[in-house]
Amino acid sequence: MLKIRQTMNKTEIKPIRKEVVVNTSQATAFKTFTQKMDLWWPRTHHIGSTPLTELVLEPGNDGRWFSRHEDGSEVDIGRVLTWDPDGLLVLAWQINGDFKFDPELITEVEVRFIPEEAKRTRVMFEHRNLDRLGGTKPVESMDEGWGYIMGLYKDLADSGI
Amino acid sequence: MQKTGQHEKAFNALGDPMRRLIFEKLRSRPLSVADIAHGLPVSRPAVSQHIRILKDARLIRVRRSGTRNFCEIDPDGVLAMRIYLDNFWDTALAAFKTVAENQTDDE
Repeated sequence: MLKIRQTMNKTEIKPIRKEVVVNTSQATAFKTFTQKMDLWWPRTHHIGSTPLTELVLEPGNDGRWFSRHEDGSEVDIGRVLTWDPDGLLVLAWQINGDFKFDPELITEVEVRFIPEEAKRTRVMFEHRNLDRLGGTKPVESMDEGWGYIMGLYKDLADSGI
Repeated sequence: MQKTGQHEKAFNALGDPMRRLIFEKLRSRPLSVADIAHGLPVSRPAVSQHIRILKDARLIRVRRSGTRNFCEIDPDGVLAMRIYLDNFWDTALAAFKTVAENQTDDE
């Protein structure tokens, strides 16, 4: 079992990195990203069973990050790991490769807001620990197909992404 | 660039809820087309169409075993979630920039 886990840990998926220059102040950039997430979140992207009505990020450390839906349900995405206005935000993205919320899974979304001019802010974005998306299934629950699964991991590792 | 085209295909393929559902089903083990269609509220031809799109996007592949066709996650498809997220954040950050620049600055 240990050997399998070690093999899994070798699987590396590069972080997603983005950089966006926003023509607004650092404070507005931070506020828009956090408190006004509902205004820019792509409406088609959620894991609820009915259409999305609101995307919520609660301010402050450990704030909830979730979506509200037409049937009144709330579906978790993750939570706030670091709330440091107006310069830094780290969120836990806890949706796994099966498009399910997994409280055990933490992939980090880090957003840095770097002021360049009064109305110019560089936003440095990183979504990391993506290798955890595919490797969170407990070994004990794998009732079949280990050879198959390990084949996938090997191919993934060999592809070097 | 071929790779970009493939990423877009994968992204679009997983943008559909029914295809996400099919993809989820296959993440645990390979299934026949009949197994996939079982319990889904769409017709068999519609399922086949979804499978074709997922296959074209190289998220899954179809393997023949005896007289039946089995669908399974394409090894490269393990990267699907990363591809999906990469495209998702591109879309989201572009929308964020637009909204941020249209805010009335408090200062």
